[in-house]
Amino acid sequence: MNPFGKSFFAVLSVILSVFVLTAGPARGEENSELMGKVANKAYIKECGACHFAYQPQFLPKRSWEKIMNTLDSHFGDSATLDEATRAEILTYLVKNSADSSSSKLSRKMLASLSSTETPLRISDTPYFKRKHREVRPNVFKRKSIGSPANCAGCHLTAEQGDYDEHKVKIPKN
Amino acid sequence: MQVSPVFTAALLFVALSPELGLAAGLNNEMTKYVQGLETQAKKQESGFKGFDPERGKKLFFDARPNDKTGTISCATCHTSDLKKSGKTLVGKVIEPLAPSANKARLTNVKETEKWLLRNFKQVYGREGTAREKGDVLMFINAQ
Repeated sequence: MNPFGKSFFAVLSVILSVFVLTAGPARGEENSELMGKVANKAYIKECGACHFAYQPQFLPKRSWEKIMNTLDSHFGDSATLDEATRAEILTYLVKNSADSSSSKLSRKMLASLSSTETPLRISDTPYFKRKHREVRPNVFKRKSIGSPANCAGCHLTAEQGDYDEHKVKIPKN
Repeated sequence: MQVSPVFTAALLFVALSPELGLAAGLNNEMTKYVQGLETQAKKQESGFKGFDPERGKKLFFDARPNDKTGTISCATCHTSDLKKSGKTLVGKVIEPLAPSANKARLTNVKETEKWLLRNFKQVYGREGTAREKGDVLMFINAQ
């Protein structure tokens, strides 16, 4: 007779199914602050040359469209791109925008906006402001941070798309 | 004394193309790009006598009024020592602009054109002319 018996397999299958269930679908995205790494080379090269390459999941599709259609005056600066590159980056941003994301952070971001609002800055969204309400404005102005645009100044794992508040380290100056 | 005709021709060629010395070290595509700018500059400015790094230096350091920063010049972000790293207005590091400190500089026409366009607009609020672009490139190339 089989030394393990039927009950062994029953227990084993229960254990295995627990693993499968806890793994669940889209494991990373279920975690509120996890959005994943930015995956488009042109976006990293062109946009990331001047500022942090924000995860597209931060803003709705309509925001990215407006930003990418007004690059000649990008917050007052010229960020002009050739048409092929602009189109490629826009496609990437739209495809991965908050509207298309199942991450909790994206859902909360969208929920904080009315459908008529088209924020151009992540730091203008009610969700961002709420999450940073304990950070005094002069903290953002510290030399090693500069402004709220510099996510990685405090979020050490921002590039990995991980904004878990336990991984935040605010520089002293 | 006998001077070889080839030598004379070469000497004449160098004397007549002052920008050739200035463009030293540029690769083929960049040399062609600079020559193209030169052709355009000749058409646009009747008195054009070749690119001048001194004029380029002035363009680089000329501070213009700016809404956000008060004044702005190329040196605001690239600093006054092109061999050193700079910083964008939002704090991202810019690798050195001088080819002597950063081999990747002035090797790619598409990149060069893109940044000249963006940064002229940023500082001067308009595109640079062919002459201005050539002047600035010759200044940067000499660093």
